[in-house]
Amino acid sequence: MRYEVIDHTADTGIVAYGVTPHELFENAGWGMFDLMFDLSGLDPMRDVPVIAGGDSLDELLFNWLSELLYHADSLGLALCYFTVDRLEEGGIQGSAGGVPVAGLELRGPPIKAVTYHDLAIVENPDTWWARVFFDV
Amino acid sequence: MKWRRTGSDVWEVDPLGAMLVPGRVYASPGLFEQAESNRALGQVMNVAHLPGIVEASIAMPDIHWGYGFPIGGVAATDISAGGVISPGGVGFDICCGVRLLSSGYTRADWVARGERVMNELSRRIPRGLGAGSVAGGDLMSQVLETGAAAVLGAGYGTPRDLDRCEERGTSPGADPGAVSERARKRGRSQLGSLGAGNHFLEVQLVERVFDEAASVFGLEEGMVAVMIHCGSRGLGHQTCTDQLQAMGPAMARYGISVPDRQLACVPVDSPEGQRYLGAMAAAANFAWANRHVLAHEARAAFAAGFDTVPQDTRMDLVFDVAHNLAKIETHQVGEHSRSLCVHRKGATRAFGPGHPELAPDLLPVGQPVLVPGSMGTASWVLKGMAENPAFGSAAHGAGRVMSRRQAKKKESGAAVRDALESAGIAVRPGSVALLSEEAPYAYKDVDEVIEVCARTTLAEKVARMVPLGVVKG
Repeated sequence: MRYEVIDHTADTGIVAYGVTPHELFENAGWGMFDLMFDLSGLDPMRDVPVIAGGDSLDELLFNWLSELLYHADSLGLALCYFTVDRLEEGGIQGSAGGVPVAGLELRGPPIKAVTYHDLAIVENPDTWWARVFFDV
Repeated sequence: MKWRRTGSDVWEVDPLGAMLVPGRVYASPGLFEQAESNRALGQVMNVAHLPGIVEASIAMPDIHWGYGFPIGGVAATDISAGGVISPGGVGFDICCGVRLLSSGYTRADWVARGERVMNELSRRIPRGLGAGSVAGGDLMSQVLETGAAAVLGAGYGTPRDLDRCEERGTSPGADPGAVSERARKRGRSQLGSLGAGNHFLEVQLVERVFDEAASVFGLEEGMVAVMIHCGSRGLGHQTCTDQLQAMGPAMARYGISVPDRQLACVPVDSPEGQRYLGAMAAAANFAWANRHVLAHEARAAFAAGFDTVPQDTRMDLVFDVAHNLAKIETHQVGEHSRSLCVHRKGATRAFGPGHPELAPDLLPVGQPVLVPGSMGTASWVLKGMAENPAFGSAAHGAGRVMSRRQAKKKESGAAVRDALESAGIAVRPGSVALLSEEAPYAYKDVDEVIEVCARTTLAEKVARMVPLGVVKG
C-alpha cells in the first residue's frame, strides 16, 4: 500500500508508506496527487526536475511536496510519476512526470498547500511511514 | 481539557501549561459538542501559546478543526509587548473572502431568465484547477501593489465598488518585492478565477429582511443577489508556503517555541514579521482584485442573460470582506487602547457603527458581515456591533462537521446535484464528483451559527438569503 487517507473535518491528510526513505517520499508525492486525480493508467508526458533543501526529514518532506505542488500548479500538470535520486541531510533531488490537467476530471479538491500540522515521519523495523495534512 | 460553560453561549478554559491566556469559544451547546468531537478545541488552546496574545484565544460559532489555528480562530497580539504574527493564523488562502452584489432583478425575473444567466455564468466564471484567466498576467505588478484599484484602472468594475470593499480593495503596506517569482508564476494565469473546494459563485434571493440596515446595504426582500467566495489562488498559497519555510529558522533566533509547527511566528516588529506582512498584503491585493474581476464577469453574465448592458443590471456591491487575514488594528484591552495584530483565520471582520474604518454611509449602521451557508442552504448578511467581544470578528460560514471522505460516502455527486436541482437550485459544477464533498449535510446548521452570533453580540441579523443557482469549482 502506497498511502492511506486520514479523515480531517476541513482538509485532507495521508499516511504514506515506504520500505526506504526514498520510496516513502515517492509514495507521499503519489498520494498527494492521487487524492486529486485517478493516477492509475496515466503515462507521464513531461518530466520536471525537483530539488529541495531541508535540515530534517520533516523539513525535506514538506519542501519536497511543496515543490511538487509548485511545479504542478505553475505548469498545469497532474503529476503521476515520482523518482527520488538522492536523499540526504540538507537536500533531496529527484524528478516527477505528469500529464496536462486539461481533460482530466478532479476526484478530490485541488490541494492548495502542504501543512506542518501533525507532520511526522517514523521508521519502523521494516518500513517507514509519514503523516501529512494538506490544505484544500 | 477543563472547558466550562461561562455563559449561555460561551465556553472557556483557563490557561494550562504554557498557555498565556484562556481559550474562549462562542457556541451553543450543540455547536460546542460538534467542536469537541474533533481537535478544534485543542487548537484553540495551542493558539493561546502565541507570544504577546491578549485577552483570550477566541473561536467563532462555526469553529472546526483546521491546521495550526482552528477554522474560526481569532487571536490578537500586542505589538508593543513582543506580539507575533503567525502565517498559520491567516492560512494559505490569504484574504479568502466573500463579495456580495445586489441587483435590479426579482424572483419573477429569475424565473424568466435564470437558466440563461446560469449558462452565461457557467461560460464566464473560470473554476476548478489552475488556468482560466480573465485578466491575464500583464497586470500582476499593479495588482500586487494596489489590488482592486489596479483592475478598476484596467476597465473592470466601477469606482463605487471600492467604497464598499474592506480596505477599499487595497491592503496597505503591500510589498510586491516580498512575493516570490514562483508565487507570481502560480498566480499569473489565475487572476479572475474561483478555484474549487468550498469556493463558489451563488445567485441568491433575499428571502427575509430583519433590520432596516438592509436598505443602507442596498438589499430588499425579493431581490436577486450574487455572492462570490474565493481568495488569492496559487499566488497566495505559494506566498504562505515561502514565508512559512523562512519563518522556522527565524523563530529559533527569537527563542520562540509553539506546540504546532504550523503556528510558526515571529514578532510583528521583526524584519521577518514585516516581510511577511508586506507579502501577505500583496497577496491580499491579488485576492481583492480576483473577486473584483469575478464580479465584473458576473455583471456581464447577467447582462447577457437579460439582453441588456451591465450598467442596467443595477448590480451594486453590497460589500467585500475577508475572513483569512491578519491586520494591525487598535482595540481596547482592559483600560488601555492597544495596537494589535488581529489574526482572523476563518473569521469575518465585523466592525460596529461609528468605526473610523467604515465608509460614511455605513458609519451609522455598522459594517456588512457576509456569512455564506453551505451549498443549498441559506446565507446571511449581518451587521457589526459596537459591543463585539472578539476584536471586531464574527463567524465566516456554517463550518464543516463531516470529513470530505465521509461526505463522499454518504451520497454521490450526481445525487447531490439532483437533490439541489429538485429543490429549484440550478447547479453548474466544474466537477460533479466533487459536489458531494460540499453537500449541505457536511456542514453545521448556518442558522444556528447566526443565532449564536446574534445572542453573543458578535453581529446582528440583517437579511437571510436563499440559493437560486450555484457555480462551483
